[in-house]
Amino acid sequence: MDFWEWVLENLRRVRMLFANREHFNQELDEEMRLHRELRARELRHDGRQIDEARVAAHRRFGSTLRLREEIHEAWGWNWIDNLRQDLGYGFRLLRKSPGFTCAVVLTLALAIGANTAIFSVVNAVLLQPLPYPHADQLISVLEANAQQGIKANGFSYRDFEALEQSGIFAEVAGADRHDLTLTGAGDPTVVTTVSVTPGMFSLLGVSPLQGRYLFPGDNKKGAGAVVLLSEGLWRTRFGADPNILGHSIHLDQRAFTVVGIMPGRFRVPIFGLHQEIWIPLVQDPLFGPWMEKPALHFVPVVGRLRPGASLVSVKSQMDALTQRLREQFPAEDGGWKPRVVPLQAVLVGDMKAPLLVLLGAVALVLLLACVNIANLLLARATSRIREVAVRQAFGAGRGRIVRQFLTESVVLGLLGAAAGLALGSWSTRALVSFLPADAPATQPAQLDGWVVGFALLLSLAVSIGFGMAPALLTAGADVQSNLKSNAAQSGADRGGMRLRGLLTRAEIALAMVLVAGAGLLGRSLIKMTSVNPGFTVAHVVKAEVSLPRYQYSTPQQWTAFSDAFMERLQAEPGMQDSALAVPLPLADAPVNLPISFPDRPASAQRAQTADYASVAPNYFRVMGIPLLRGRNFDRHDTASSPHVAIITESLARMYFRDKNPVGEKISFGFPPGSPEVHEIVGVVGNVHDAGLSQEPGPMMYVPFDQEPFWGGMVVVRSTLPLTNVLGAIRQSVASVDKDLPITDIATMSEIVDASVQQPRFRTYLVSGFGLIALLLAAAGVFGVVSFSVASRTREFGVRASLGATPGNLSQMVLREGLVLACSGLAVGLAAALGLTRFLKGQLYGVAAYDPVTLVVSIVVLLVVALAACYIPARRAMRVDPVIALKYE
Amino acid sequence: MSRDEIPPGTLYMLILRVLARNGELHGFEIAKCIELLSQDVLQVEEGSLYPALQRMLMKGWVKAEWGVTAENRRARYYRLTTAGRKQLEQEISRFERVIGAVTRVIQTA
Repeated sequence: MDFWEWVLENLRRVRMLFANREHFNQELDEEMRLHRELRARELRHDGRQIDEARVAAHRRFGSTLRLREEIHEAWGWNWIDNLRQDLGYGFRLLRKSPGFTCAVVLTLALAIGANTAIFSVVNAVLLQPLPYPHADQLISVLEANAQQGIKANGFSYRDFEALEQSGIFAEVAGADRHDLTLTGAGDPTVVTTVSVTPGMFSLLGVSPLQGRYLFPGDNKKGAGAVVLLSEGLWRTRFGADPNILGHSIHLDQRAFTVVGIMPGRFRVPIFGLHQEIWIPLVQDPLFGPWMEKPALHFVPVVGRLRPGASLVSVKSQMDALTQRLREQFPAEDGGWKPRVVPLQAVLVGDMKAPLLVLLGAVALVLLLACVNIANLLLARATSRIREVAVRQAFGAGRGRIVRQFLTESVVLGLLGAAAGLALGSWSTRALVSFLPADAPATQPAQLDGWVVGFALLLSLAVSIGFGMAPALLTAGADVQSNLKSNAAQSGADRGGMRLRGLLTRAEIALAMVLVAGAGLLGRSLIKMTSVNPGFTVAHVVKAEVSLPRYQYSTPQQWTAFSDAFMERLQAEPGMQDSALAVPLPLADAPVNLPISFPDRPASAQRAQTADYASVAPNYFRVMGIPLLRGRNFDRHDTASSPHVAIITESLARMYFRDKNPVGEKISFGFPPGSPEVHEIVGVVGNVHDAGLSQEPGPMMYVPFDQEPFWGGMVVVRSTLPLTNVLGAIRQSVASVDKDLPITDIATMSEIVDASVQQPRFRTYLVSGFGLIALLLAAAGVFGVVSFSVASRTREFGVRASLGATPGNLSQMVLREGLVLACSGLAVGLAAALGLTRFLKGQLYGVAAYDPVTLVVSIVVLLVVALAACYIPARRAMRVDPVIALKYE
Repeated sequence: MSRDEIPPGTLYMLILRVLARNGELHGFEIAKCIELLSQDVLQVEEGSLYPALQRMLMKGWVKAEWGVTAENRRARYYRLTTAGRKQLEQEISRFERVIGAVTRVIQTA
């Protein structure tokens, strides 16, 4: 039979499945009746009696019923009929016990929902390849300098050119991020800009939506300024203007010609999901001049492996190249060594460990849900032993019964999957909105085919896996004894009870692990949020003002702006306590610079760095940072006076021990590689600038007037409402320059909150899982204990009639629950001690085996288990001996 | 006269053959034709005709349509399709191959 005939035949079969069965049978009957009547008439012609002829015709024809069945079977209707029967029966049963159905579907929905949500994120961040062709060939190349204590930095542009010419990679490109101000298209606004070397586009294998991408000529000195727009910016800011190509837009008040529009999904890796424009590196007001400073290592590089090249061979080639550069340019390249890592690993970075912890926790929830469902199905199977026995007695085969149970579990599984996916799609969205905006993903998390497939497979595996056990348990039991005996005494039931006891212990153990995990994360979060950041949080508002670099090109202009701005702002009522700073602790990434001490012999110098901030004199007062020694910055610290610095307590202790550092010299400079000697004039308190959970490292401050930036963060301490403060800031900025945007407005307490957003988010999630686990474990204990009470009604009756008080009886029940809980907890404690060490990296100020947390978790679980025994215990107390003994 | 049941597996071939000869027939006519053509030697086990016809419908060898008999009664008429005609040729050649082989065995015995 050829393929097409086979397809056609199956199409006919499928069409018949939807045919009107009633009509089909009628036609068949009519056809067969005609046949028999014609035969009977023929026989009559042969001389038989009418009745006799009819009987003979019938006999010759055979049983129409059997023929009809044969025909149905030929069309493949029998298994459909069986399925329909099973489904109908299953649905009826499920409808008749809505409590059971709800419990199973809800359990599955919770587990599937939580799992799909976490899996969506894991899938987007860890599993899916980066959205570039042959993404496995993409390599991140950075440089580290152990001598200066720098773990990962970019290349200097001269080193980048050397790398480009070396041919180690098939293609290389560099990029850095720097935001520019877009004016002339609506309100002035800051756009996220990635400045790239032009090779980036062909390296990533993307093509522009319109126009062209950047070519090598665009990155030559003196080339016309060009810009690529993202599709998003083109649509929102320029109304999808089809004629924008060739026109210019103003970035930092300089004209850039739009030469192309990049598709919405295009991003340069490492620089986050939000990218709006791309310009050649040479045109960047900050990085452009840096290209000619070979001491500045600022360009992170992405390379594409040559076909067949291995990471190992590239690493050794890179070692050789940087070795040569170190020898050739000891001043600028001394100490710099390459760091060659697959791009995907770099992007996943810090997310991997916490995500795996979440995945582990949610997997435990799923496991618990499975155990709970198995428990529920088992309880149901034992109560249906009689029904199964009756059906077996009527001739139902073992296979038929197993199939019945399976159909029911598949129905349950599909219901659970549907509910779970609904919950999952909702919680994925919630989860994504909770994820930090700078999560390293290159693509957003969403429910895709993979995730849906994962959920469907999961729920079917769970339901079939656990639908099977009770089916086999009952189908294997002895029909005779099951028919005769009360369900509660049959052999299958005793086996079932033992199994259910084990399952409940497993539930308690799993719940113990999750509750302990949640407890540890919770305690660690409390410790983290109770850390004193080193500055005052209350009533402090911050906003960013950034100056266009082409218009404000000299440090003198920057100082002039900041002086004028600060003067106007402080003249506003209630705004005296305001200052400018770059960068702000917790809000901005710390700027880490190499430091040295010019008064010490070179031999005493070692690799050392400290964080750096340039601040206006008022800063320490506004932020409530205490001055411990020496003096504050003042108006006399100007560009023309000797450079001064204030250091933190931690820097003082680290490098001056008990000596008074005031009056000592320290050397550093921004950008790195341009050291300048500063006289230490004061010591201030430590500040957690990199994160609340990180110990405050050494830090130094310089006066903004001596080392100004192109704008900065304005901080204001005021008890006025936020809108008034913002109004004052806007007005003061506008009175100096009306084209300046004010961005990144927040209160300092929001900043502190945001800095613990990730751990908080993690803690809430795991606590949610812990809560679900507690509920499920409680349900398990309740089920087992109440079933045991129900099946021992008679025993309780006898005991009561022999003088046991209701108190004795309830104690018996509670003891049973307690035994169950304790044996589960013993296993759970061991498992928790084994598993919580994976949390170690996520914990702050709490040991992974923290005894307080473990004891509290045990107490919580015991209380929950005993609470679950309360209703069955009450029931045992109320057993009436007379009724109990008469019963049966 | 005793009648022989048709050998298993040949029912399809007989039905196809009868339909090829007579065009449109209903179930009883097919049964009668097989009897007549075989001069009453072969007898169709009458009921089994109908499952066989349904299977042939499924395979696409025949088409069925309701019509009216000469006596004005509703009847389902079966007709050969192109696929059915091809099938008939295959069945006949296979049958002849088998019969030939069997005959040779008998004659040489």
